[in-house]
Amino acid sequence: MALTPETLPRHELNGLPVRVVESDDASRVGLEGRVVIETTNTLSIEVRDNGESQVLMVPKSGSTFEFAITDEAAGDEKSSGTASKLADTQPDPSEESDESDGAGGDAAGCARASGHAGEGVAYVTVDGSRLLSRPARRTETNGDSPWQ
Amino acid sequence: MDIAAERIERLHELARAAAANRNDDRARYYVRLARRVAERNRLTLPREFRRFTCDRCDAYLRPGVNARVRLQNGHVVITCDCGDHARYPYED
Ligand SMILES: [Zn+2]
Repeated sequence: MALTPETLPRHELNGLPVRVVESDDASRVGLEGRVVIETTNTLSIEVRDNGESQVLMVPKSGSTFEFAITDEAAGDEKSSGTASKLADTQPDPSEESDESDGAGGDAAGCARASGHAGEGVAYVTVDGSRLLSRPARRTETNGDSPWQ
Repeated sequence: MDIAAERIERLHELARAAAANRNDDRARYYVRLARRVAERNRLTLPREFRRFTCDRCDAYLRPGVNARVRLQNGHVVITCDCGDHARYPYED
């Protein structure tokens, strides 16, 4: 099950390009970078502006995040360059991620792919409160685990 | 491949990239998270992941940088900077 807009709330967030679209704290709106560290209640985002990189911690609750799923991020991970390709946040101009994946219905409800997907990138908007979970446990909270 | 296995693959790449940037603590964080995901989902970590991480300190090993690799009696002995040894056999 690949990383699709439906599976994103249960998938790995570290390494994904992200933007804060809404936040209780107006100063955080518009932050753009990559997720580098996730904790139960926060995402740390590495923001790069002209060579300087800075890591900012954003609480999950009270913010809405927009993740960009590029094709090579969604596709097969075997190519060893995946992480470095993610590093420069270059969208791969091939195809859309497959959205017909029958993942957890309630994930599909909240993680809607917004309309402005372009050149092989799908943008997924997720309310931060949906991501509140220990990073290792997020995968199990929504079905398809043998422990349900 | 389910989500947990994919997360492990992805974390492996992230750990490797972080180690390549000399960002050792972040590499450890990714290695630990991958281990935690694997144990919670009862998955075996990929062999490459096991060979390139330290069992004791969770460092992502880069031979020649933070790990020493020697051959001994048909075994590879890999020594982490923390002092831990891992050994496994090799075929000629
Ligand atoms: Zn070690």
